Amino acid sequence: MGVLRVGLCPGLTEEIVQLLKGQRIKTVADLAAANLEEIAQKCGLSYKALVALRRVLLAQFSAFPLNGADLYEELKTSTAILSTGIGSLDKLLDAGLYTGEVTEIVGGPGSGKTQVCLCVAANVAYSLQQNVLYVDSSGGMTASRLLQLLQARTQDEEKQAGALQRIQVARAFDIFQMLDMLQDLRGAMAQQVTSSGTVKVVIVDSVTAVVAPLLGGQQRDGLALMMQLARELKTLARDLAVAVVVTNHLTWDRDGRRFKPALGRSWSFVPSTRILLDVIEGAGTLGRGQRTVCLTKSPRQPTGLKEVIDIWTLGTEEQRPELPAKQT
Amino acid sequence: MQRELVSFPLSPAVRVKLVAAGFQTAEDILEVKPSELSKEVGISKEEALETLQILRRECLTDKPRCAGTSVASKKYTALELLEQEHTQGFIITFCSALDNILGGGIPLMKTTEVCGVPGVGKTQLCMQLAVDVQIPECFGGVAGEAVFIDTEGSFMVDRVVTLANACIQHLHLIAGTHMDEEHQKALEGFTLENILSHIYYFRCHDYTELLAQVYLLPDFLSNHSKVQLVIIDGIALPFRHDLDDLSLRTRLLNGLAQQMISLANDHRLAVILTNQMTTKIDKNQALLVPALGESWGHAATIRLIFHWEQKQRFATLYKSPSQKESTIPFQITPQGFRDAAVTASSSQTSSSNLRKRSREPEEGC
Repeated sequence: MGVLRVGLCPGLTEEIVQLLKGQRIKTVADLAAANLEEIAQKCGLSYKALVALRRVLLAQFSAFPLNGADLYEELKTSTAILSTGIGSLDKLLDAGLYTGEVTEIVGGPGSGKTQVCLCVAANVAYSLQQNVLYVDSSGGMTASRLLQLLQARTQDEEKQAGALQRIQVARAFDIFQMLDMLQDLRGAMAQQVTSSGTVKVVIVDSVTAVVAPLLGGQQRDGLALMMQLARELKTLARDLAVAVVVTNHLTWDRDGRRFKPALGRSWSFVPSTRILLDVIEGAGTLGRGQRTVCLTKSPRQPTGLKEVIDIWTLGTEEQRPELPAKQT
Repeated sequence: MQRELVSFPLSPAVRVKLVAAGFQTAEDILEVKPSELSKEVGISKEEALETLQILRRECLTDKPRCAGTSVASKKYTALELLEQEHTQGFIITFCSALDNILGGGIPLMKTTEVCGVPGVGKTQLCMQLAVDVQIPECFGGVAGEAVFIDTEGSFMVDRVVTLANACIQHLHLIAGTHMDEEHQKALEGFTLENILSHIYYFRCHDYTELLAQVYLLPDFLSNHSKVQLVIIDGIALPFRHDLDDLSLRTRLLNGLAQQMISLANDHRLAVILTNQMTTKIDKNQALLVPALGESWGHAATIRLIFHWEQKQRFATLYKSPSQKESTIPFQITPQGFRDAAVTASSSQTSSSNLRKRSREPEEGC
């Protein structure tokens, strides 16, 4: 609800704005909440004019309800399911990443979050031929690893180069830079600037790195900024029909004496799907690349489903490694 | 552009006044002229001008970090990044096994953390790298300078002199086989005085000094653009020693990690951090894990852990975006950080020694 300015709608002249300001009505919200009879008497404006003005402003600024059936039709046409390129992960995610939703990957250091993100980026750029925006805030984005993943899929160098060109990398090391980046993305999509296809996946690796320095202590803005970022990501996913993937860290919960995802309970409501990557204990030298993936939050699948992936052979045909427990 | 005011880096006092005047989003303010804004809101003209500049995301005239932010907001395609990575060099460590598992050496534009028990060789590696970063390009180095921030006081200049002399000798041997003019010219510049004068040394005694030094680094680096390596030897000590408030410690460390990776990116340099080890009791087992907690584990991009096994030093790569986990042996000789002596020959010599020893009593009897 913006500030009342001349030209906001027809009928709002400078005189009216000044008179209303004298009555301490500065924003549209103030006008909508005010008692118009009183205002009309005190300002000397016509009651009918004020009511008409309010109706026009409300029509301009309100959100309109949508019929459930229309919403379903709209979702059917606009939602896409993007495969991650890892068979077992797709099974957990109910066929892949859904556009319009935020998916979170949680894991300890070295558990493979960045590897999964790189694999998703490589798969979407190569197999699905869609653009990807990779927002890197921890320095993990290595183009040579992307090339390795692409070389496992095709030997044709032109196709590799084409896929690499579809992945845009942006580096944002603090939260304001990240918010700027997301705003730029909105602007570019609104103007249809990108020449070949639109961005379908936005990967933020990692969101904890930029938010963690702000939370806690005497800083009161930290939580507000985190929720701003959450809102940006969710509305981006919905408005632009992209799939948003974020990575989060694990922290040690002293009360529960276990590991839990960072950024607290407020953040835990932001992603609609959450998967946890964990190292397999005692896997031996051959199994050092293996990780368990556990589904801890999902709007469609039952939680607690587990799969095993091998981060050293991501995206190649040899994917189903056995859980070591079966061997003993 | 419906961005709320809280998502901009405005000072809280100014933001409170703006919100009280009814401005909620950036759109509302951008249409107003600075003089009108200062009158309506009750802030000074300079503050109004600064606010509008921040909202328009222009460079602030008196902030030195301007160059950094404009570079960071550029987007690259992965193809451009790949070309950049191919032309970028690595800082070699003179231990070829370690260089191999790292993919060529310590990579630029990333933060590397080296953890280890006391005496395993972390500071030795740092001093070796401070010399190796200056190797001229025709010999495979990056020809850069080094910043050494010391918090433990373990930097020994005489040791660096020994390492530098060994490196110069090594390069002379290589140049001897090449007989190139380029190589000879490069070697002339690679003298002991030059090497020592290009290592910038800072000593910090507690965490406040360390944070202040890191805050001042961008200015220093813009004046010394040839620096390609920043070493912080002992990031654990100042934070474990005096700091009781653990949540403050986590916040400070996270902020520091972001500043370091931002520095590494903006100025195209490598950052090395050394960390200590601590004991974690897990299911009645005592494990040695890197210090500073769980969240610090995510801070560095690459993590190396040095450890002992009987009498041999080993280096394990625990975390890397492009290389697999692996372990290799290494050793520290008087000449510096080197590959471990080849195990086959050492076992042969030890077995032949054993044979010699066992024959003597036979001959005796």
